[in-house]
Amino acid sequence: MRATPLRFSPVAALAALAGTGAAQQAAFTTPGMVQTPSPKSETSTASGQSDRFDSTFNPAFSFVVDTVADYLHADDDSVDSGVDAQLRTLEFGAQAWVDPDAWAYFIGATDGDVVSIEEAAVHYKGLGGNTTLRAGRIFIDFGKQMQTHVHELRTLERPLVLRTYLGEEVKGDGLEYDGWAGVGDTTVVRWSVGAFASLVPESDEVAGVPTVSVASRKNAGDLNFTARLTGFTDVGENGLFQAGVSGRFIPNESAELNGSEQTGLSSSVYGLDLTYGWTSDDARRNLTVGGEFLVNTGDTVARIDDMSTADASDDTLTGFARDTQTGWYAFTDWAWNQKHSVGVQYSELELGDGIQAGEVELYYTRAFSEFHRLRFVASSYDTDVQDGDSLRFAIQYTAIIGAHGHGTNW
Amino acid sequence: MHTGRRLFLTLLLLVSAAMTSVQASTASKLRVVATIPDLGDITSEIGGDRVQVTTLTKGRENLHYVVARPSHLVALSRADALVQIGLSLESGFLPGLLENANNPKIRPGAPGFINTSVGWEAIQIPTTVTRKDGDVHPDGNPHLNLDPRGGRQIAGRVLAGLVAVDPDGKATYEARAAEYAQKLDAAEERWKTASKDWSGRKIVVYHKEFDYLAALYGLDIVGTLETKPGIPPTPGHLAELVAKMKAAGDVTILTAPWSNGGEVEQVAKATGARVVELPNQCGGIAGTDTWIGMQDLIHDRLAKAFGTTASQK
Repeated sequence: MRATPLRFSPVAALAALAGTGAAQQAAFTTPGMVQTPSPKSETSTASGQSDRFDSTFNPAFSFVVDTVADYLHADDDSVDSGVDAQLRTLEFGAQAWVDPDAWAYFIGATDGDVVSIEEAAVHYKGLGGNTTLRAGRIFIDFGKQMQTHVHELRTLERPLVLRTYLGEEVKGDGLEYDGWAGVGDTTVVRWSVGAFASLVPESDEVAGVPTVSVASRKNAGDLNFTARLTGFTDVGENGLFQAGVSGRFIPNESAELNGSEQTGLSSSVYGLDLTYGWTSDDARRNLTVGGEFLVNTGDTVARIDDMSTADASDDTLTGFARDTQTGWYAFTDWAWNQKHSVGVQYSELELGDGIQAGEVELYYTRAFSEFHRLRFVASSYDTDVQDGDSLRFAIQYTAIIGAHGHGTNW
Repeated sequence: MHTGRRLFLTLLLLVSAAMTSVQASTASKLRVVATIPDLGDITSEIGGDRVQVTTLTKGRENLHYVVARPSHLVALSRADALVQIGLSLESGFLPGLLENANNPKIRPGAPGFINTSVGWEAIQIPTTVTRKDGDVHPDGNPHLNLDPRGGRQIAGRVLAGLVAVDPDGKATYEARAAEYAQKLDAAEERWKTASKDWSGRKIVVYHKEFDYLAALYGLDIVGTLETKPGIPPTPGHLAELVAKMKAAGDVTILTAPWSNGGEVEQVAKATGARVVELPNQCGGIAGTDTWIGMQDLIHDRLAKAFGTTASQK
């Protein structure tokens, strides 16, 4: 009798289950080598099992080019005023079905200097009912705008209150579970809960401003969480109404400034959003009105000792004040045909210590087709902080190529 | 315990409650969702009392811009069958709805996924699929519902689909399909009479919706207002089109409710061409609640525009 050593390899087992021949992996494999499952080709030439590099099942690819040219006038002399032009985002993505119950995608982005993975996730729909489990890196499900990538916004920037309380973009590595149920024939309720390693947004270092972070290893209770409950319903033949509540929770974070550190901080943001949309019978004219009210609460106001000097490098973080601030934004868009639309967006918020800020944006969008558009924007930022006001005029050109999608939820 | 975590758990409970909402199945009829009213009408004709049909669009829309509604999602999640044109006509709104509805009965490949373009000989299949050619449909022109022969094609696919989903109703469906075929026979005779002198008539279309009809009757398509399918007209393109129409002589502009706007008026004014608004789906214009009624109206309006004999209903 001959004994054959057996070793179990999950990857090899998957490959065996897939029942595939070798393709796009090592040309020849021996027992014990890692095998990568690959799709079976259905092309007639490959049916002869002769081609290792079949592309039938390759993902759908997409690119987005988002460029902005603008003029900025800032009252603060330390902020550069003048004209600029930049490639704001070159986004590249790929997406494909993994199997009948799951699809995966990734979205990378670069501004020419830094390349980042914006999202990379699998959506699994095999748990039954109208549920989806998302795993990987995703934009958080908060309100109507936080899942949207910046080039897909209705105007140039996310509303000021979202940028300030949540971040320009908030992506988390973790899990999100969501589902929906029909209520009657014309209403749908959707919910989601998410747990992530960190929901502290990425931000550039600014002198005199503490850097906030979440520990990489932590107790399960110190994970960062999101939750959303939303319902939308038909309003007559042409209208839609949606209302939602959202929450983002960071139970344990720390802040650091010039070597001084504060730990055991926590913060939460809550939102209530309302949106109404109207579409004409021919589906070419659209009116959208919406807004969101936000509450930012917790350790939100840093106490800094500036050592009575103008030099920010010797500032010291002495503590955080627990505070609750509120803010909101509202917008309205009107598209009078498929080519032209105008809109206005206003946002204002409390920054703590009684300081307020507001921003108004006016925008006109000219869509050449479904796949590229030009946008003109005028925005004004106004704050109680001395010399903090600014004015900006911008032209944005965005082109979308290929099978574009972000897995955005409603 | 942090307030945030407590609220998170509260929200979790709330959403769990929403999740457990169960939709009781009260309807004994086969629940069929049709993407456009044309399919809804023909499905009702064949399904009769055995089916309950819900239609997603209303009949006047540009199908590229249809907005998905909660009622669409609910209907698709409860459907036993979905009837669509296919050829990517509904690609702007149907794939997202299908994914969210997550209904295995109507997934591609399931018996309830009824694609009425299966077996249809599509025209204008692009040899190269590129956005340079506009919003192209890789499998060819999808507007088969506007071909006078399209009703028979759709009826055949709907019959096969309903029988596959509900074999017990086979005899009923086949009997009703035979009755509908007789109505089509009579209608086709009317349309044949109405169109007998149309060959060679010159037309301009806004979108390539009426190309099947033009091919069937030998109409000469001088041009389109759109620069390419799905790409709105530009001033330069319209100027070229006007010149071409003036050179061609007597030209009729065919447009649909969604496209009958300023550009059509501008070209008509510049050339003196007559404008004929035709339905692009059932229900978009009064008197087009049925597919046969819609085709009758199309033939009547064209006959009037061309100065030939109208159909006799």
